[in-house]
Amino acid sequence: MSPSEQFRALLNSGKMVVAPGAIDGITGRLIEQAGFSAAYMTGAGTSATLGYPDYGLLTMTEMVDNAARIVRATNIPLISDADTGYGNELNVYRCVQEFERVGVAAIHLEDQAFPKRCGHLDNKELIPLEDYIAKIRAACDARRSKSFSIIARTDARSVLGFDQAIERANAALANGADIAFVEAPQTLDELRAIPERVQGPCLLNIVRGGKTPAVTLQQAQAMGYALAILPGVLLTGIIAACDQLLAGIHLADGLPAPLAPSTPQKVFARFGAEQWDQRRVAYRDAPGESK
Amino acid sequence: MSFPTHQSSQSEPLSAASQFRHLMNTMPCVVLPGAYDCISALAIQQAGFPAAYMTGAGTAASLGYPDIGLVTMTEMVGNASRIANVLKIPLISDADTGYGNEVNVARTVMEFERAGVAGIHIEDQVFPKRCGHLDGKVTVSRDEFCAKIRAAVAARRHPDFLIIARTDSIATHNLEEAIIRSNLAIEAGADLIFIEAPPTLEAMRLIPKEVNGPTLLNQVSGGKTPQVTFDEAAALGFKVVLTPGVLLRNAMHLFDQVLEELKRDKILRNVTGADNVKRNFERFGLSEWLKFQDTQCTVRN
Repeated sequence: MSPSEQFRALLNSGKMVVAPGAIDGITGRLIEQAGFSAAYMTGAGTSATLGYPDYGLLTMTEMVDNAARIVRATNIPLISDADTGYGNELNVYRCVQEFERVGVAAIHLEDQAFPKRCGHLDNKELIPLEDYIAKIRAACDARRSKSFSIIARTDARSVLGFDQAIERANAALANGADIAFVEAPQTLDELRAIPERVQGPCLLNIVRGGKTPAVTLQQAQAMGYALAILPGVLLTGIIAACDQLLAGIHLADGLPAPLAPSTPQKVFARFGAEQWDQRRVAYRDAPGESK
Repeated sequence: MSFPTHQSSQSEPLSAASQFRHLMNTMPCVVLPGAYDCISALAIQQAGFPAAYMTGAGTAASLGYPDIGLVTMTEMVGNASRIANVLKIPLISDADTGYGNEVNVARTVMEFERAGVAGIHIEDQVFPKRCGHLDGKVTVSRDEFCAKIRAAVAARRHPDFLIIARTDSIATHNLEEAIIRSNLAIEAGADLIFIEAPPTLEAMRLIPKEVNGPTLLNQVSGGKTPQVTFDEAAALGFKVVLTPGVLLRNAMHLFDQVLEELKRDKILRNVTGADNVKRNFERFGLSEWLKFQDTQCTVRN
């Protein structure tokens, strides 16, 4: 099964798919080893791993390359942030081709304007609905496999209101999108209303400290969400852990106490050392065997 | 007009940007044929041209795309980096609109400079273009254009790195607007001005006179701008002449011809002037690499 077929099977299983955010091969593998059935490539995390804030600085090539890296390192389907598709619908067409080619299972495309006007980086700016629909149609047309999933994200809630956001989500689904992503609902009532009013599977973005009230995964599943992403958990954790360990070097005047016991072998085991070790001897005759 | 060069120390080799400034200071007019890959770039260097230009249209073609804004900054910088890496002569590169707002422009400058390019041009067209209007030009406001130029100038590390301001406003407004934008760009810190597609000889005469800084002339065969000799361009007052498409377009024509012959004759014919395989590799530095192997690699079996 291809990654996109795997992802469709998960969606059809009736159980909400939970996809923590990966930023690189390390986090991708750890997510898989923790038993999650899918991973999510966060744009903010990708910016960070390249050394940038999440200010629309990354190019499509950089996003696709990072997704490729994560796909290569894992066996679970990867859902990726694809921002606004990096231009007009021609750029969106190319964007879908590139992400699909590297083995991503699904991408989300949003209705924000790009580039944002400087001085307005905090405000959201939307593109007209007809431009957004054109992008969704282009994306659906561009995919080679029909199982590659197009997730339509709308940022309309904070700009045009909840009803408009639902309308945009439904318009996108009616024009071929497979899943809807209403970004930043502001109340528990809105959270509940989304899977009820949206005429298709819905994604929930779980972010600590964002505008959306916190819910448990069980509550999200009960509300009817098909997919939940937790983009920032690992990135924020990594930063905190690194800060702690680096401060620890100063304090200990040397190696600080590890956060968890570890050896180089244990580390490499997390990265497939066992399979590679098998390949070291698998292609040679055992000593004494005739050729 | 003299272009200040800033060398940090005499013992360091001149950066590509400083090299290019030196060319502008010492030659009446610098001619930049367009390269789209390392093969075409090396051909330009070996023909004796003092500098080369990386064409965006050529880069898109070498990746298999038409020139309609599909290529990303990373791909453009990647191509420029590969080319600059093998050239001894300086490379100027197309950088489209800078790939976003002024924050993106700042990043664009950093990436191209890091890649070893001598300078880039940034234009005042809108990106992305609205589909259905790909043939028409739309330009951003004067303010937005100048903000991008200021951001570009602020972002460079080495003061010799050239920021070339290109304006497409003859097509959207008129020559007068293009001159106004050019002079605003000069005030914003641009080192060289590129007014795209002046439609007449009269316009070409006016540009170097009316613009308060050095100017560049783009020559495209079959394009809107009348063709002149390089000496004529220099006499008009242009400091730089671009011929972006000369190699790619002729190469495609040659490819078509050769392939047509191959299909027709059903036999491989020797290409006129082609040498053996080893001689071809000479074009790509075979001697230097072998010498390096002989003198530096001391481990022998």
